[in-house]
Amino acid sequence: MSIKELITIILLVIGCFFFLAGTLGVLRFPDLFTRLHALTKADNLGLGFIAAGMALHIASPWAAVKIFSMWLLMLLASSTSCYLIARFEKEKDAPKNKKEEL
Amino acid sequence: MIDILLALLTIYLALQCLLAPRLPQTVFMFFAFGLALALAWVRLGAVDVAITEAAVASGFLGVLFLDALQDFSLSASPKRRGAGKDSATQPEKQGWTSYLPGVALGVGLGLFLLIALEATWKMPEGGGLTAAVAAQLPQSGVEHPVTAVLLNFRAYDTWLELGVILLGLLAIYAVGGVKLYPRHNNVADDPVLQQIMWFFTPVLFLFGAFLLYIGKSGPGGAFQAGVLWGSIGILLHLGGKLVFSVIPRWVGQVLLTVGLGFFLFLGFFFLARGAAVFEYPPAYAGLLILIIETLAAISIATTLTAIFATLNQENKKEVH
Repeated sequence: MSIKELITIILLVIGCFFFLAGTLGVLRFPDLFTRLHALTKADNLGLGFIAAGMALHIASPWAAVKIFSMWLLMLLASSTSCYLIARFEKEKDAPKNKKEEL
Repeated sequence: MIDILLALLTIYLALQCLLAPRLPQTVFMFFAFGLALALAWVRLGAVDVAITEAAVASGFLGVLFLDALQDFSLSASPKRRGAGKDSATQPEKQGWTSYLPGVALGVGLGLFLLIALEATWKMPEGGGLTAAVAAQLPQSGVEHPVTAVLLNFRAYDTWLELGVILLGLLAIYAVGGVKLYPRHNNVADDPVLQQIMWFFTPVLFLFGAFLLYIGKSGPGGAFQAGVLWGSIGILLHLGGKLVFSVIPRWVGQVLLTVGLGFFLFLGFFFLARGAAVFEYPPAYAGLLILIIETLAAISIATTLTAIFATLNQENKKEVH
């Protein structure tokens, strides 16, 4: 086993760990905002590490660029949808909170 | 080993999809099921089907399901339920006719399953028609066997598929996309959503065009590109930029029918010149297929956008 393969495996395992932690968070965290946090963390870091591992495994610069852009697009999409869900949830709850304050 | 796990996962997700107690769970199980199915297609070496499965079943149908879920949650909310109480308290007539559609559907699907099983049983050894397609491939004008079959050898089927999509849209138009509770989308003018919309529109367009062009020599083609282009329309619609209220009505109608129409025109054009229907001269076949695929992708994209725009109740008022 060469050094490269070892690094690839380590990167993939770290990525899988983040996905596992994210899934655990989605299942166990109490409310929507904390769950969103867990989910986007898994998307960002888990996919990032797996993408890095795969790029190293394929070891062609062109494929690495493609994988990296895939990760970037995924980051944009996931953070935007996370933000929109959080905003929707916040606006849905807003009137209720005002009433409680009164 | 991976294949067995994947098969078990797919069956498990399908069962969960049917048995999940609540509607949102069913929908999300369906997403997961679609993705597992796409992975299974990749493992089987059918990348074309995998892309279509992921794009149509998980992507487009998912969007429609989420939209329907929102409608259901709205119609089942306590306020609405109170309004419709008097109709609910009436004794409902549950005659045997109310089970008829379900029974008919069950029998039909059962028969279909039996036919499919029998066809799988009788699958000829040695790959079926693979050799025949490979022998005729140089004449088809493209290098990818799937595209050659879809757009040249069995072009009639693909033409009918385009017709089926259009028919679906016409059925939705005929029902009128009745919306009981029109609402207004106040998230649509969100600055982040607007920015991401303008960023993703060219990216999706480029990726769709790439899939369209790569269909000549690899997995890709009109349906996959059409779904990606259609997702641009859906994204714009969700962001409050209503495509069908911007373009004139007749332009929309032309875009909806141009794929089917040009395909039909080409078929009859060569029929009139003495060839069979959808038989292209080998010299122009590649170019013709590219034109057909482009127009078909435009039509599919417009149809999907129109389906979503008609069914989505947000911004409903402005559409008409």
